[in-house]
Amino acid sequence: MATKPRSESAVNALRMIPTKWAVILLGILIVYVVLQPRLNQWFGWNLPSVASMVGDEKPAKATNKKGESTKNETSRNDTAKPTKKGNDVEPDLEKESNPETASSKKKPAEKTKTAEEADEEREQPISTLGKSQNNNPSQPTKTATKPKNESDESDPLYGFLTEVGRNRYESPAGLVYGPGSEEGHRLKHIARHLEDQPDRPGSHGVFKGSMKAFLTTIDEGYARAKKGAKGTTKKEDDGLVVYEITFEKAIGFIGGEAGGRKKNPATKKLRLVVRGSNVITAFPF
Amino acid sequence: MTAPLIYVESCPVCGDGLCRIRVCITDQRLNGCVLCDECEAVWTDPSLQERVSRKPDADDPQCPGCGQSLWSKNAHWANIGEVCLLGWYDRVRVVSAKEG
Ligand SMILES: [Zn+2]
Ligand SMILES: [Zn+2]
Repeated sequence: MATKPRSESAVNALRMIPTKWAVILLGILIVYVVLQPRLNQWFGWNLPSVASMVGDEKPAKATNKKGESTKNETSRNDTAKPTKKGNDVEPDLEKESNPETASSKKKPAEKTKTAEEADEEREQPISTLGKSQNNNPSQPTKTATKPKNESDESDPLYGFLTEVGRNRYESPAGLVYGPGSEEGHRLKHIARHLEDQPDRPGSHGVFKGSMKAFLTTIDEGYARAKKGAKGTTKKEDDGLVVYEITFEKAIGFIGGEAGGRKKNPATKKLRLVVRGSNVITAFPF
Repeated sequence: MTAPLIYVESCPVCGDGLCRIRVCITDQRLNGCVLCDECEAVWTDPSLQERVSRKPDADDPQCPGCGQSLWSKNAHWANIGEVCLLGWYDRVRVVSAKEG
C-alpha cells in the first residue's frame, strides 16, 4: 500500500468540521471524482483531478487512461448502443480527430438513378449511347449469340440505322427512333433496358446483348408482328400500338424489384410500343 | 439525397412502366397528371380512369392542363409536397431512395 500523507491530512481536516457538513462535502467530492474525467472528455475542459489537487501524486492516471481511448469508444460504452458502430472501434488517432468520418463512411451511396441523373442523361449527345452496355455482373452471361462489333457500337447509328431527319433514325424494317422521352431520345430510352434496375418497383425487362443486337431483335420482331406471324400479338390503345413477340430463344431477363424476387427469370418475349412507325419503347417482358 | 420515387402503380398499358405523377407549372398554376415513364400514356388523375389523348403529330406526351410537352422544362416528376397540393397523397406509393 502506498502511503498517501496528503490524503490523510485531508481526512484529518474533515474530522474537524461537523459530521453533517463532512458527509455533504464527501458526497460532493465523490461526485466530482466520478464526473471530472468525463466532463473533461465531453467538453474538452481541463478540470484538475482530486488527486492532483490534494497532493502531488501522479495526476489522474485513470483520467489519462480514459483520455487516451477514443471519444467514440467512451460514448459508445456509456450509451451501449447495439449498433454496427462497434465495428468501427479502432485505435486510430486520426479517427478521433474527426469522429464524423466514421459514421459518414458507413453510408455507401447506393447506386440508384436519381431524377437529376436522368435529366443529365437527357442532355447527353446521342453519340454516347453505344457506351451503355449491359455489364451487370450478377447476371449469368450467355455469350454472344451475336458477335459484338466495337466499331458498330461506337457508331451512333450502330451500323444499323439510317438518318432520315434531324435526330431521327430509321431501321431496316421501317421503325423510326426520334427525339422524345425523358431521356431526350428514344434510343437513349430503350438503352435503359440494357441494364437492370434492381431497386425499381415492378418489373424492368432487360435485354441481354449489345445495343445493336437489341435494335436488330426489335426490328426482327416488328417485321414478324406487322405480318401477324405466329407468336406475335398486336393491341391498339389510344394511338399506341403494343406488339408482343415471342422469340425462339431467350432474349433477356426480368429485372427490377419484381424480377429480382423471382430470381430474374429469362424471357423470350419482347414488347414493342409504337405510335405509327415511331418507337416509343421496347423491352423484354 | 435522392428524391423518393412516387408512383401510382405499374402501367396497365405497357406493363413495365410506372404510372408517376407529372406536374407542370404554367402561369404559376400547378397542373398534375399521371404519366407512364415507359410508354408515356397519360391519365388525368391517379384513378387511371381517364386517358389523355395525344395529338397525332405530337412527339411528346402533353399536359392535360396546358397542352405543353410533359418533357418540357416546365414539367417534372412531382415531389411529395406537390402530390399533397394536388390532393393525391393517399393515392400514391412512395419509395424512398435506398441507403446502405
Ligand atoms: Zn406504360
Ligand atoms: Zn401544363
